[in-house]
Amino acid sequence: MADAAIHGHEHEDQRGFFTRWFMSTNHKDIGVLYLVVSALVGFIAVTFTIYMRLELMEPGVQFMCMEGMRLTAAGIGECTPNGHLWNVLITGHGILMMFFVVIPALFGGFGNYFMPLQIGAPDMAFPRMNNLSFWMYVAGTTLAICSVLAPGGNDQLGSGVGWVLYPPLSVNEGGMSMDLAIFAVHVSGASSILGAINMITTFLNMRAPGMTLFKVPLFSWSIFVTAWLILLALPVLAGAITMLLTDRNFGTTFFDPAGGGDPILYQHILWFFGHPEVYIIVLPGFGLISHVIATFSRKPIFGYLPMVWALIAIGALGFVVWAHHMYTVGMSLTQQSYFMLATMVIAVPTGIKIFSWIATMWGGSIEFKTPMLWAFGFLFLFTLGGVTGIVLAQAGVDRAYHDTYYVVAHFHYVMSLGAVFTIFAGIYFYFPKMTGKMIPEWAGKIHFWTMFIGSNLTFFPQHFLGRQGMPRRYIDYPEAFALWNKVSSYGAFLSFASFVFFFVVIIYAIVAGKRETRPNPWNEYADTLEWTLPSPPPEHTFEILPKQEDWDKSPAH
Amino acid sequence: MPYIIDNEITATKTATIEIWPYNSLKPKGFVLFLGSTCALISIPLFNVVGTKVFWGLFPFLFVTLTGVWFALRRSLNDRQILEQLKLSKEEIVLIRQDPSGEQKKWVCSPYWARLKMYDKEGPVSNYITLRGNGREVELGSFLGEEERKNLYYDLSRLLNELNIKP
Repeated sequence: MADAAIHGHEHEDQRGFFTRWFMSTNHKDIGVLYLVVSALVGFIAVTFTIYMRLELMEPGVQFMCMEGMRLTAAGIGECTPNGHLWNVLITGHGILMMFFVVIPALFGGFGNYFMPLQIGAPDMAFPRMNNLSFWMYVAGTTLAICSVLAPGGNDQLGSGVGWVLYPPLSVNEGGMSMDLAIFAVHVSGASSILGAINMITTFLNMRAPGMTLFKVPLFSWSIFVTAWLILLALPVLAGAITMLLTDRNFGTTFFDPAGGGDPILYQHILWFFGHPEVYIIVLPGFGLISHVIATFSRKPIFGYLPMVWALIAIGALGFVVWAHHMYTVGMSLTQQSYFMLATMVIAVPTGIKIFSWIATMWGGSIEFKTPMLWAFGFLFLFTLGGVTGIVLAQAGVDRAYHDTYYVVAHFHYVMSLGAVFTIFAGIYFYFPKMTGKMIPEWAGKIHFWTMFIGSNLTFFPQHFLGRQGMPRRYIDYPEAFALWNKVSSYGAFLSFASFVFFFVVIIYAIVAGKRETRPNPWNEYADTLEWTLPSPPPEHTFEILPKQEDWDKSPAH
Repeated sequence: MPYIIDNEITATKTATIEIWPYNSLKPKGFVLFLGSTCALISIPLFNVVGTKVFWGLFPFLFVTLTGVWFALRRSLNDRQILEQLKLSKEEIVLIRQDPSGEQKKWVCSPYWARLKMYDKEGPVSNYITLRGNGREVELGSFLGEEERKNLYYDLSRLLNELNIKP
């Protein structure tokens, strides 16, 4: 028998710094760790792009020379273009951003921190596995960065095959850099799968009594759908890159026509993973935005049930549209028509979400606090990116746009401006909850406006470049593309300045920010369970099951 | 409510209370989730049936599927706690079945048994204990706050009846 234990004890946080942050099994601490590490990795990946935009600012090659990398164009002697370095940077940027920045921030960071809180669970279902996921993510990041610095193809450092790692290019790339990149993706994939299993178990079995599936807050729903997508998509990627690894090192011929393999099959498998991957990236952001918009419109979210079903539908549709990434590989007309129509169907659930967000704001009393600004930015830019997505979905039109800057503009609008804006919205929204400090409004607003203008200036002109026919993935371009490339580079520098400013603001706010210890610094429409806790929340939360009236606000307010 | 009471006490019959922790995943949900995951995860395999690539993908999909199956089972099993309280004129028996299969037992005469609810002093609020036979044992510490309060009232009523009725 469990003998009674009456000590009148409160939980005391007696962990030292090392124990707390390096051996953590606490979902809130692990969430913070994910956010911090992904911010640092994001900084590295952004630095790559700044160097690339510097190179693309003028026609000709001024910085990435065979004679060595340069930071100023003060033209010291000859410069032989170093295409390999360029390719390594785009590969590094792609791999880091796809696997090590956005997913860890949204799914790992916000998901870990707030999903258990929103459903009233004391922690994740498997806290130690959670710790394992995090450190595997760190290990994967290290491998990815090692890959950039290790001996690779063309007798130089790093491998430049693009983040999709298409064979035969990836199989023939020399050196061990490519193998390190594959291991990096493997380890991060394993980390994500473990994380997803953890999230799914938590979501399914640890919801508070009375919280049936269709009463769960939208952010938790988005995390669950994301976890499910990870569970279904990432093992496919793991299989694909394992075959790539054996093709490279053990002479198998899974994707080598000489031995009966099919390189196009790799593309199919990769994109079977890759398309759900982009939804994995953006779905948690959808969840965050729903809460932000509802809070700052002072209205409950419009159409909760359709919102949930739209999340599920986007997830499901994500698995049946993969070949729209590869219209030009020589599929039959019927196949192309199918993928084209299926792709356009995605506009329906996405439209439901966009219109529901707008309907939430309709007639609401809208407050332009910083998180709401980011949500607005997201809504506008994601819709814009979605519209170019519809254009690109047309198999015929895609013939012209394939591998041009139009595609680059499209996916940066939905991911760099869409997903990343949701991360910032989430950070400004939840910062007082996580730290008990407030970020000054003026700083948040400067950050938002510089980033909004900067990133639009970066990517909008790329539509023009794409329409003019400028291809992706090249270090140099003809004179004719000079103007918009220059504008785009200025935009990138402005965004970078804004990003650096953000780091300064965050450090300032943590060190010297105004204290904000109220459970809910916003208003009563931030009505999920995390807002009933003190800020910052204590080490242990919801050890006692929450009462239904704490979270069940329907009929609303 | 995760406890049931069968509280008709007669001279021969015993009253029973069974208490278990709340699980939001029901058996039907478990089957539904794993079934649909199994169906969806096999979609990419149809593409590659009959090629070598099938065997490159299959192990990973299989391991993932067993992984999530194991995790959900484990989470459900970890909460397989059942506390059974049998009350009769002769004795009160409390049997706690732990997830490990271990059984713990406490027996006491109803006359000496004392029910107590600690509002704040316990590890959880409204902490319920039974004292007697030299030990103090806890009851339903995994329940919700309100549920424990209800349980306390139900139980005190039963104990009263036991001691008053002839």
